[in-house]
Amino acid sequence: MQTIKELYAYRTMIASLVRRDLNGRYKGSILGFFWTFLNPLLQLGVYTLVFSIIMNSDIEDFYLFLFVALVPWIFFSTSVQAGAGCIRSQKDLVEKIYFPREVLPLAFVTSQFINMILSLLVVLAVLLISGKGWSLPALCCLPFIMMIEYMMALGIAMFVSAVTVYIRDLEYFLGIVMMAWQFLTPVMYSVDVVPERLIPIFMLNPMTPVIVAYRDILYYKKIPQAGTLLQAVLFGILVLMVGAFVFSKLKRHFAEEM
Amino acid sequence: MEQGYAIEVSHVTKSFKVYLDKGNTLKEKVLFRNRRRYEHRKVLKDISFQVKKGEAIGLIGHNGCGKSTTLKLLTKIMYPDSGTISMQGRVSSLIELGAGFHPDMSGRDNIYINASIFGLTKKEINNRLNDIIAFSELEDYIDNPVRTYSSGMYMRLAFAVAINVDADILLIDEILAVGDANFQSKCFNKLREIKRSGTTIVIVSHSLSQIEQICERSIWIHDGVIREEGLPRDVHPVYLDYMGQSRMRMIENQENREEEVVIPIQDGTGTEVWRNGEKIRWGNGQARILKATAYGEDGEEKKIFRTGEHIVMKGFYEVLEPVEDAVFGIGVYRGDGLHCYGTNTRIEQFAPFDLNRSGEFTFVIDALELLPGEYDINFTIEMGMGIPVDYYTKIMKIVVYSEWNEAGACRIKHTWAWKAEEEHDEN
Repeated sequence: MQTIKELYAYRTMIASLVRRDLNGRYKGSILGFFWTFLNPLLQLGVYTLVFSIIMNSDIEDFYLFLFVALVPWIFFSTSVQAGAGCIRSQKDLVEKIYFPREVLPLAFVTSQFINMILSLLVVLAVLLISGKGWSLPALCCLPFIMMIEYMMALGIAMFVSAVTVYIRDLEYFLGIVMMAWQFLTPVMYSVDVVPERLIPIFMLNPMTPVIVAYRDILYYKKIPQAGTLLQAVLFGILVLMVGAFVFSKLKRHFAEEM
Repeated sequence: MEQGYAIEVSHVTKSFKVYLDKGNTLKEKVLFRNRRRYEHRKVLKDISFQVKKGEAIGLIGHNGCGKSTTLKLLTKIMYPDSGTISMQGRVSSLIELGAGFHPDMSGRDNIYINASIFGLTKKEINNRLNDIIAFSELEDYIDNPVRTYSSGMYMRLAFAVAINVDADILLIDEILAVGDANFQSKCFNKLREIKRSGTTIVIVSHSLSQIEQICERSIWIHDGVIREEGLPRDVHPVYLDYMGQSRMRMIENQENREEEVVIPIQDGTGTEVWRNGEKIRWGNGQARILKATAYGEDGEEKKIFRTGEHIVMKGFYEVLEPVEDAVFGIGVYRGDGLHCYGTNTRIEQFAPFDLNRSGEFTFVIDALELLPGEYDINFTIEMGMGIPVDYYTKIMKIVVYSEWNEAGACRIKHTWAWKAEEEHDEN
């Protein structure tokens, strides 16, 4: 509770770190902030090329099928993988200045989140242009599932960034973990293709309901099933609580361990 | 917490794990668990002190004594192992300047980032923005990217932000050495202003004069405990005296390790002595200076003197062959090689004398007017019109310290006077 109050007092710091990250990222490049849109657009171009022309899939508009899941996945995996170093990389700040340490993962994940929102704008535009179209009732669920994914990404980012201060290997190890995790999540395939007996284990993956919900909303244009949403919410809360708890235990010695 | 106190530190102990062979990766942590030997180094041992509201205190001590750790504990960057620290009011620290600066962003944007890291809200920053820009004297450059700034401009901007963060308690670590002399005095005036407004201040600094100018009280932390505490003008001389002695010990240890090479000169009894590739002693050897010593006013032998102190230096010599028309000389060099003073008995027109037997000569300085530093003393014996008999450079080192911070090489005797212009009666 104390922490939340303090984080509120430091809201300007969070905002300015996010702004610095977003504005600073493409500073010096010719296209500047436009890259934020160009990047997902070019990725989409590559996927379309590969999956519509080279590898033909059974799934209709596979590039869209893939893309609506890939954008949220990239947000999640960047938050975790790059987020692991978000405290370490601010060594100077952590060693010299007091501020609630939660600010760092919070700002990092938030800036990734805003990036995802911008990418989703591109996705929505493409859906419209390709003739696939939107379903407004389904789109109403989008902010909800985005918030849940945000909680999950934040929880895990807090966990890994705190542990990375003590064990630097984690940051490197996460590279392979996230790759495996991506294949275990229905990003590039549909849950239907998973063998029946593996489904219970499969559903333990907190990212599964999230990705399924995104795809329901954007690709299938339908409101996600209540069960999927409930599962996602529970996972989201659990992950965030565990992450915040571990973080609060480890943060006291950050300055000494760096 | 008692009424009227802003900071209360009671029985605080802090130790660090100091790894003798630090491995930070998992492999090292698991595989070499036994090799990861570390010792707990106690940096602070049961420290207690209080600071009144509106009081300014200075923490002094040599490097690694625990003063910076104390400040970090106050800032809550670290937490004590045992003991408690309670503080009343908003705390701001001037420990790291320019935190979070982004080189590609403008000075103005960076003010927002930097100030927000100190916990200011957007509204608070807006209110201070003009003050900050004015204080930094960067009005014309404030919208240029920070990477185009000189390091002086950079620090000025950083300091301007830091010092304009209003706080009830201000913690400052060794940062008043910013920018040129003008800007420094501006910072100082600002600090006095902050103090007048009732802010409690804790300063860590090597510059005792800075502390004397701002603080009512000094706390000397030595090896993790408070060694001395009180008015700066009482604590600082004791501290300086201690520091001078430990520096002397260090110099002596170093000298013992230095290598000396003695080269006999072919004809006669003369020798040359080389130390670390430098010729330090030469002469024909008819007489030899055996040793040099220095004494204070009370006749006690010592090597550390305060500026203005009475000093007696003695040179002991032995005569191997009689020296005709002998001349005693002395040279004083500052550690960086500056020749401060040199004289001899010929320059001062003493009647010529011969040395037939061993003895000693004495050089008395009523008041040593050298400013703080290390000084090398040369003693020389010459004969006739300047033939070196024993030219012994760096025969002895003395250390000078001072409570004042005058600048230059030596103190010049002086007095001050001033008076206001007389008022003219208009009628």
